[in-house]
Amino acid sequence: MARVAIEDGYFTIPDDPGEAPRLLGSRCPSCGEHFFPRRMVCAKCLHEGCADVLLGPTGRLYTWTYVHVPLFAKKDGSVEGYGVGQVDLPEGPRVQAILVGGPDDFEIGMTLELDLEDLGPNRDGDEVVIYRFAP
Amino acid sequence: MRIDGAAIAGIGMVRFDRHPHRSTSELARDAGLAALHDAGITLADVDEAFVGYIQPAAMIGIKALKELGLTGLPVTHIENASATGLVAFREAAWAVASGRAEVAMAIAFDKMTDMARGSANSRGTGRDQLDSTILPAAYFALWAQRRMHDHGTKPEHFAAIAAKNWNHGALNPLSHRQPDHTVTVEEVLASRMVASPLTAMMACPADDGAACVIVASTEWVRRHQPDRRMVRPIASALQSEAYSPGHTFLGPVVGPATMTATTARLAYEDAGLGPDDLHLALCHDAFANEELEYYELLGFCGEGDGEKLLMAGDTALGGRIPFNTDGGLIARGHPGGPTGLAMVHEIVTQLRGEAGARQVEGARRGLAHLVGGGSVCTVNLFESD
Repeated sequence: MARVAIEDGYFTIPDDPGEAPRLLGSRCPSCGEHFFPRRMVCAKCLHEGCADVLLGPTGRLYTWTYVHVPLFAKKDGSVEGYGVGQVDLPEGPRVQAILVGGPDDFEIGMTLELDLEDLGPNRDGDEVVIYRFAP
Repeated sequence: MRIDGAAIAGIGMVRFDRHPHRSTSELARDAGLAALHDAGITLADVDEAFVGYIQPAAMIGIKALKELGLTGLPVTHIENASATGLVAFREAAWAVASGRAEVAMAIAFDKMTDMARGSANSRGTGRDQLDSTILPAAYFALWAQRRMHDHGTKPEHFAAIAAKNWNHGALNPLSHRQPDHTVTVEEVLASRMVASPLTAMMACPADDGAACVIVASTEWVRRHQPDRRMVRPIASALQSEAYSPGHTFLGPVVGPATMTATTARLAYEDAGLGPDDLHLALCHDAFANEELEYYELLGFCGEGDGEKLLMAGDTALGGRIPFNTDGGLIARGHPGGPTGLAMVHEIVTQLRGEAGARQVEGARRGLAHLVGGGSVCTVNLFESD
């Protein structure tokens, strides 16, 4: 079964399951600032024409919470909750994402790794995946 | 933006609550009529109207306004997420201050209960889906967790703010939540955990409602309402996000905290006032931890001193600078668009000296603050004679 991104243009899906996925970001050739997700106009210096770069796959947890109700995007009502965090990438961007783990698994400053989660098949039978961060 | 020559001529609102059997047009009509009656006029006397709502449907503002009459007046629709009501007010105040209108109306309505129900089934696709996978409670909780890490804040502090605002609500007949007992810190902490460290009682309810404010020239108000203490908007600042490193672009976020500090500074400069000159403040307390941050960002104490201000009772009724005297978003409620106009309603009621059991003694100046969608902030200052 092929794996497809929930939305193109945000992250890679490596063919080798042992290889870490990366976030698709931008770097401004004029001032050097990095962004996620990709953008054309630099948010810092307003230069037009940022270049595509790969970001991550690791980052440090800036802050987190654990939500004690089911995730909107999940059709599975039996899911009791989920972690959410903001992760600082080494290149600079702060990324907000779902975290893998339970209510007691997170600590500000810890290193996290980008990870893919299967959401189930789409109408074409392809597995839809979304990115998240795992300790 | 300094506002000269404008004053509040009328205020009106429908108590925020669940109103499953009342349409937005009906809610808007009742709030609009209340404000028109308070001003002693009809729609025929209104030169221009600004209609605010979040619920996304084209032109429902003008549809609602038709319930008050069809006079041909210019109508502009305004949407700025949770800040919608105050931004509609800002435009009405500016229409009067600029001289293009003698009497202007800001009116807003929303049915948040419809939006909350629809959200689970209408998440959109693609970026919309990536952008909206978490509850509002979650992104405010991210801010709360970071504060606990940076300043040693305890869940008890957030609970103390929530309890204060619930108890303020008990003194306000227009508050959604009117507890029949004194709400305690323990009760707030024991309520259901939503997103750690935020519990259900630290969060605002989902509401339906409407509110309306009539602004007129000071000459008009002096002429038509000679026996009432005049309340004037004196400054209004509106800002969107300024880029700084570490900005989070994707996902619903609180937005940079500096946005509130910048907006407040602009409003204070325009008014020639500082936080020490104010007697009450209303802020965006959709979640209790926000109010603690805004004590500092609005300049009422230094960074990291919010807990001290709170625990001294300075921000409760009877304290040095009472916050959210009407119960705030947490108790009075938060339908979305109308929320900012309910804030104006409370400040005007206080500055007129008509707030009854929750009256702030000698209140002459007040502040109303809202953030919207993590991307805009507005701070508005009011003064009475």
